[in-house]
Amino acid sequence: MATRMKLKLKTVFVLYFMVSLLGLIYALMQLGQRCDCTEHDLPKDRTISRLRGELHRLQEQMRKSEATKQPLKQAAKLSPPTIFVITPTYARLVQKAELTRLSQTFLHVPQLHWIVVEDSPHKTPLVTDLLVKSGLTYTHLHMPTAKDRKLQEGDPNWLKPRGVEQRNEGLRWLREDRRAQPGGDTQEGVIYFADDDNTYSLQVFEEMRSTQRVSVWPVGLVGGMKYEKPVVEGGKVVRFHTGWRPSRPFPMDMAGFAVSLKLVMANPEACFDGEAPMGFLESSLLQGLVTMDELEPKADNCSKVLVWHTRTEKPKMKREEALQAQGIGSDPAVEV
Amino acid sequence: MPKRRDILAIVLIVLPWTLLITVWHQSAIAPFVAIRKDDRVEGRGEAGGQAQDSKEYCASDKYIVEVVRTEYVYTRPPPWSDVLPTIHIITPTYSRPVQKAELTRLANTFLHVPNLHWILVEDSQRRTPLVTRLLRETGLNYTHLNVETPRNYQLRGDIRDPRIPRGTMQRNLALRWLRETFNANNSQAGIVYFADDDNTYSLELFEEIRSTRKVSVWPVAFVGGLRYESPKVNAAGKVYGWKTVFDPHRPFAIDMAGFAINLRLILIKPQAYFKLRGVKGGYQESSLLRELVTLNDLEPKAANCTKILVWHTRTEKPVLVNEGKIGFTDPNVEI
Repeated sequence: MATRMKLKLKTVFVLYFMVSLLGLIYALMQLGQRCDCTEHDLPKDRTISRLRGELHRLQEQMRKSEATKQPLKQAAKLSPPTIFVITPTYARLVQKAELTRLSQTFLHVPQLHWIVVEDSPHKTPLVTDLLVKSGLTYTHLHMPTAKDRKLQEGDPNWLKPRGVEQRNEGLRWLREDRRAQPGGDTQEGVIYFADDDNTYSLQVFEEMRSTQRVSVWPVGLVGGMKYEKPVVEGGKVVRFHTGWRPSRPFPMDMAGFAVSLKLVMANPEACFDGEAPMGFLESSLLQGLVTMDELEPKADNCSKVLVWHTRTEKPKMKREEALQAQGIGSDPAVEV
Repeated sequence: MPKRRDILAIVLIVLPWTLLITVWHQSAIAPFVAIRKDDRVEGRGEAGGQAQDSKEYCASDKYIVEVVRTEYVYTRPPPWSDVLPTIHIITPTYSRPVQKAELTRLANTFLHVPNLHWILVEDSQRRTPLVTRLLRETGLNYTHLNVETPRNYQLRGDIRDPRIPRGTMQRNLALRWLRETFNANNSQAGIVYFADDDNTYSLELFEEIRSTRKVSVWPVAFVGGLRYESPKVNAAGKVYGWKTVFDPHRPFAIDMAGFAINLRLILIKPQAYFKLRGVKGGYQESSLLRELVTLNDLEPKAANCTKILVWHTRTEKPVLVNEGKIGFTDPNVEI
């Protein structure tokens, strides 16, 4: 009895062993095959692996930039000088569009500090929200233009100078309030007056970064010409190529020069003169800062156009006005 | 002796089960298995090797979400992702003084958008060096095409045929290029957007475009003499009309900048093009869209068409009075 049972047990064991071994081999063979249920997962996992690769790449870049930033924070002299861009702006239909595409350009420029000065008695929510969402380093200021200095509806653009009080307010902030901020003691920086309807290439910011006193370059589509530019001989500016009133001390556009922060701080009285005759606005500031032979020509000895004085058309609102007269204008809650 | 046999028996029972369980456990996480059916040996080896990686992949799932909040990295353009659908932007352009400025600031915008493919079509006999150089220097992923709108020889001067709306031949050429380059069976996801070179686009717009399944629509500012024109969206999230003053009964009363089309739709309907002649003012967009989609299929974006993400800005023509008849400035300097 015992032996028979023993024998049976032995066979049971052997059978069991064989069955489980076969099952194991079958399972292993299954792994070697493509199975329908895993087909869908393949692309997902491949994308995960690619995302991981990108993640690693971005992290590496970040680590590199952090590594270069850390010692820079201690030795401020080594960091690239900050470009302070002063932009006066005022509320009109295309304001949000202009500031949006301007911020898209600025977002590519490292070490840029945007100073937006609204022509308004208080900060508007439109500009506030836009600046917050832009991702840029910014300062939001406001300074209303005095009524008698302001352009009225129907006035031609050249009748009164625009943006004077706002630009001066930007300069004042740089001279006074910025000092109070951490890191505000550094005088390394370049100031650029960028109007909100011009077009800027990314190269112009790199050209102006090395400004020691005042640097200049050509501006496209201004002064009734394809471009206006300083004429450079022997590495120095000798005169200006312009089609309109070339006898001005500095016959160039606001977008055609940049001033070093140091120079502005060293001359606390230098600012834009709102009473200056038409076209003399730029000269009113630069006269007090620099002479023509001290100007630094950029953009390949002033031979390339890197900034354009574009102007945006006022959108036609005839139908809108007609609707509003009927009381069924477009929803004012929708911000344009 | 019996003791040893018992132990042997127990081992023989337990061993295959542990092996089985471990192998099944690994296979549950790692479906990265070998591709070829015949290469079984390789398959098993790969499965073993990849199985280890798979664990890491799974673990890193958590980290991918956190990465989104990193600081802005100044890489231009952003690295190409295999996950995001490509946005094919078709921009017709023509030579005029503000062309380089317009294309420059457009490029500055596009450099922020991942997986963007810019199809720039010049209205010219030959590709101009200005545009060629500009495209190359931006670093964007681009295709440079050109086709000249036939001039109207009856009118003197450089007047193009006024019966053909501006940009039509160029947009059609880009559509043809897309159809010749991609085929419908290719699983590459893409969206087509017609972007004119003087408009202003927010970066949010491109992310809204990316989720287009057939044709998506949204409001556009400064068109039709209004603050903005927009599709009318009902409570069910479907488009049922158009909020415009200028001919709201057009099949698609929408501006070129107000819609985007999934690439697949373009490919499976190869006859759909913008009508070249005989198109009434404002009906150009309808001439293409009515061959692709019905009103019911439209997907409203921009928070059910309540936000403005694109502005139909127009740049003033610069007054070049001081150039005079013979030109004052050096023509070799490119503007």
